[in-house]
Amino acid sequence: MLTQSDFLEPLARRRTNEIVIPTMSLVRAWGRLSKHEFDFAFADSAMGHAQSLALGLALAQPARRVLCLNGDGSMLMSLGSLVTIAQCAPKNLILFIAQNNTYEVTGNQQIPGAGIVDFAALARASGFPHAFHFDDAAQYEAALGSILTLNGPTLVAVRIQPGAEQPPNRREREDAPYLRRSIADSAHRLRSALFSNASPRS
Amino acid sequence: MPSLLKFATHLRANLAPCQSRAVNRHCRTAVAVLKFQIIMLTARRLLDEIKSLSITHVVGLPDNSTAALFTLLALEKEIQLITVTREGEAFAVAAGLWMGGAKPLVVIQNTGLLESGDALRGTLTRMRLPVVCLISYRGFKSLPESRSQDLSAEELSRRDVDSVALLLEPTLKAWGLPFELPTENAMLEKLRAAFSLAEDEMRPRAVVLTDALR
Repeated sequence: MLTQSDFLEPLARRRTNEIVIPTMSLVRAWGRLSKHEFDFAFADSAMGHAQSLALGLALAQPARRVLCLNGDGSMLMSLGSLVTIAQCAPKNLILFIAQNNTYEVTGNQQIPGAGIVDFAALARASGFPHAFHFDDAAQYEAALGSILTLNGPTLVAVRIQPGAEQPPNRREREDAPYLRRSIADSAHRLRSALFSNASPRS
Repeated sequence: MPSLLKFATHLRANLAPCQSRAVNRHCRTAVAVLKFQIIMLTARRLLDEIKSLSITHVVGLPDNSTAALFTLLALEKEIQLITVTREGEAFAVAAGLWMGGAKPLVVIQNTGLLESGDALRGTLTRMRLPVVCLISYRGFKSLPESRSQDLSAEELSRRDVDSVALLLEPTLKAWGLPFELPTENAMLEKLRAAFSLAEDEMRPRAVVLTDALR
C-alpha cells in the first residue's frame, strides 16, 4: 500500500504543463506540492463530479493533458461517468483514483464496497482503453512515466493509506494559494491562463 | 422554407384558379402546411439557431420532447453531442468545457434537473459560468389552470397532474437559476437572449421548452 506522498510526489515531479484537478483529501496535499497556474482545486464544488469537469476540459483542450486526482468515495458517487468518459474517448484524460477505502475528510468512515470494488476493472468494462491498479509504490513510480504518455482515456487506481485531512475550505489562511480564492475566481483564472498559454487546439 | 412558401403562394394565386377544385384545394393545403412549419419550432430550426450561436457542444440526455434534436445532433459534424448517464454529469461537463474555451449548451428534462441540484449548484452556479440550459417541461399540459402555490401532499400526489411540472418553476426559483418560459414562437429569440444575458451577468440561465420538438 502507498502513502499519499508515494502517490502524489512522483506525479508532481513529472508534471509539466498538464491541467491538474485534485478533489477532496487530495486538494491540500497537491497544493503543498504544486503552485502551477493550471492547478484547479475542485473544492467548495459538487462532490462526485470532478471527473466530469475534467472530461469537459479535456474535450475543450485536446492538445493538453488533463489529470484528475479523484477519491474513491467521490468516484462511487457517479460511476456512470466512467461510461460517459469512455464514450467521449478523450485521449488526453487520465483519471487517478486514490483508493483509501474511506471517506477521509469526514473521519475515515468506510465507503461502500471497501476492499471489494475494483476501479480498474470497472473502467475496462466501461470501455477505457487503459486501466491500472497499483498497491506498490515502486511499481507505480516505475510505470508512471509511460502511463502519462498513453493515448487515453486512462484510469489509474492507487491503493493508499487513509490519512487525516480535514475538508478542503477556501479561505485566506489556507497554505495552498489556490484555496485562498473563490472557486468562481479560480474557474475564470484557469480559463484565462489557458487562453494566454494557448497551444494549438486540434 | 420561406422561398417554398412564396412559390406555393404564387402557385395558388396564379395557377390554382385556372385548374380544378382539387388542385386548388391541394395548393391551399400546401400553403397551410408550409406556414405551419415556419411557425412551428422544429428540431431543425432549433439546431440551426444553435449553430448560429456558435455552440460547440450539446451536453445532456434526450426525452420525448427533445428526442428529435438529439437525433439530428447525432449526425451533426459541427457540434459535438455528449450524452451523459445522469443529468448531474451534464453540468460538470459543461463547466469544464466552458473553462477550456468551448461554448456548451445543456439539454435535459425537468426530472433530470431535480436529480442534479448539487451538481448545478457546485459547478455552473458556484463558479459563475455563463452556460445556458434548455430544460424540457414534462407535464406542462397537465398543470391545472389555477395552480395552488401550496405544494401540499394532495397536490403532489394528484393522479391527473405530473408532480414534476408542479415542482419545476419553484425549484428553478429556489436554486437561483433565472429562466424564461417562452411561447413556441419566441423560443429561438429567447434562447439567443439567454446566452447574451448569461454572458453579461456571468451566471447560468435556463430556457424552458413546453412543447415537444418535431
